[in-house]
Amino acid sequence: MTRRVVCFLLVLAYSLLIVPFADLQKNRPIEVKLGYLPHSQLLKISSGEHCSTTAALIVMRVLFYYGTVLQKLQENVVVRPEFLNLFKTVQTAVDLDPYNMDTYYFAQAVFPWDVARVNEVNYLLEQGVRFRTWDPFVPFYLGFNHAYFLKDYARAAGYMQLAAERSGSKFYAQLAARYFYESEQTSLGLAFLETMIRTAKDKAVRKSYELRRDALLATQIIAEARDIYRTKYGKLPSSPIELLQKGVLITLPEDPYGGSFYFDERGKVRTTSKLVFPSGEPGGGS
Amino acid sequence: MLSQLVILVIAHLRGILRDRILYGIFGVAAVMILLIPALSSFSMRQVQELSITLSLSVVSAVMLVVTLLLGASSVWRDIERRYTSSILTLPLERATFLLSKYCSVVIFLVVSAVVLGLSCSVVILLASASYPSDIPINWGNISVALCGATVKYMLLAAFAILLSSLSTSFYLPFFGALSIYFCGSASQEVYEYVSGEFGRGMSPYSVNIVKAAYYLLPNFSAFDFQVQAVYSLPVSFPDLSLTGLYALVYIAILLYLAMLSFERREMP
Repeated sequence: MTRRVVCFLLVLAYSLLIVPFADLQKNRPIEVKLGYLPHSQLLKISSGEHCSTTAALIVMRVLFYYGTVLQKLQENVVVRPEFLNLFKTVQTAVDLDPYNMDTYYFAQAVFPWDVARVNEVNYLLEQGVRFRTWDPFVPFYLGFNHAYFLKDYARAAGYMQLAAERSGSKFYAQLAARYFYESEQTSLGLAFLETMIRTAKDKAVRKSYELRRDALLATQIIAEARDIYRTKYGKLPSSPIELLQKGVLITLPEDPYGGSFYFDERGKVRTTSKLVFPSGEPGGGS
Repeated sequence: MLSQLVILVIAHLRGILRDRILYGIFGVAAVMILLIPALSSFSMRQVQELSITLSLSVVSAVMLVVTLLLGASSVWRDIERRYTSSILTLPLERATFLLSKYCSVVIFLVVSAVVLGLSCSVVILLASASYPSDIPINWGNISVALCGATVKYMLLAAFAILLSSLSTSFYLPFFGALSIYFCGSASQEVYEYVSGEFGRGMSPYSVNIVKAAYYLLPNFSAFDFQVQAVYSLPVSFPDLSLTGLYALVYIAILLYLAMLSFERREMP
């Protein structure tokens, strides 16, 4: 009898505990979900032959973390992603397995855009070019970064040529040629983003690219309307609303990041969201 | 002697197959292998590559546990059960008995590698069918990686047998072999680390100790062909032959020492 009572009490205690415990785990801070990793050299030594598996598990952790951040953003909950820790985590994954494409792909999808860490990402990607000797995507990312973010068209063309050689695709070859002359940065960014969306498998990453593409499309529409206005009236419009009032724009595109568009002192299209997450640094304009 | 060895190996293999712990280990391995396609699907750009990575890791982890359990417990358990006392009254050399123990462990490891490898092949095919990779699956390299893992655990089993022949308990062979596994897996990395810039800041005495340990300990990272299998990188066959020869000589030395030790050991 006593045993039955003890057994019943234990089951009851567990049943009462499990729901709040699961809630606690579900709602633990996002920072805890990413966590901190030891130095890559130490991880490499301790993981031995399981280096590649460890790297893959680290990438999964990064993806879950970033997916949660994006999900919160869609629910209008502002979360400040730990970009520095996130970058260090990705760098550790690259050190453990420099062949893992997921790390380069994620680094390219997030860091140049959201925190303007182009040089750091390029450093990672250069490792990818050295190790993944068959892969056209890593030089493609590098070429894009050099052209779009750093305006270094000569190096961009070199990387695009490498991508073209590795893939045998005309697309990269055309981009390589275009980079020497291209000046319309928004359309260049759109071309890149469309390619990335087409090949994106992970929903969080695809969503991130789609947000960026929609933002750039909106910027491009306003910039084109601004140019029409300037040709027609011989001056710059004071605000995008004026484009609506003069009938140059039928509807004002929305900033998917939640900001409002405006023109800066040089007439460039800007937005109050700066086309980044709340903790990010200034983004692009046209 | 050969017929005695064969009879003993068959008897030991029967004993191994009766071990329920191994069934538990292989049950866990089956669950892990079944989970591989689901886990691989989390990859953004390399589902097939991740499935191969996880498969090889599962095979290696299972073989490590099997090697440690069989290698560390086999001789010790026979002595505890006084099986050795009765069997060694027969006209049988102790060396033959020890060699039969090692051969039975090796045969079981080879069979395990084949079974696990075949199961993983199915899983890899399933995972790669869902999201085909630009890199074709290189079955040759995957076989090389599986062979490398098998040879590595043959070497570790020889260590476990040597420690078993010295020890009167289960703990020294088990934890000793586990320590050797960790040290041998890390030795190449540590050696390269202290040979580089980091080593210049260390005392020459410490660097020499690390280098001596590197040459003495088995270099398990030499048997790791996982990256070549996953990314279909070229494998050098002259290098493979040298690595195989290294393992063979190392195993021969360990078994020789184990036999020497076992022959001098007092049986209860």
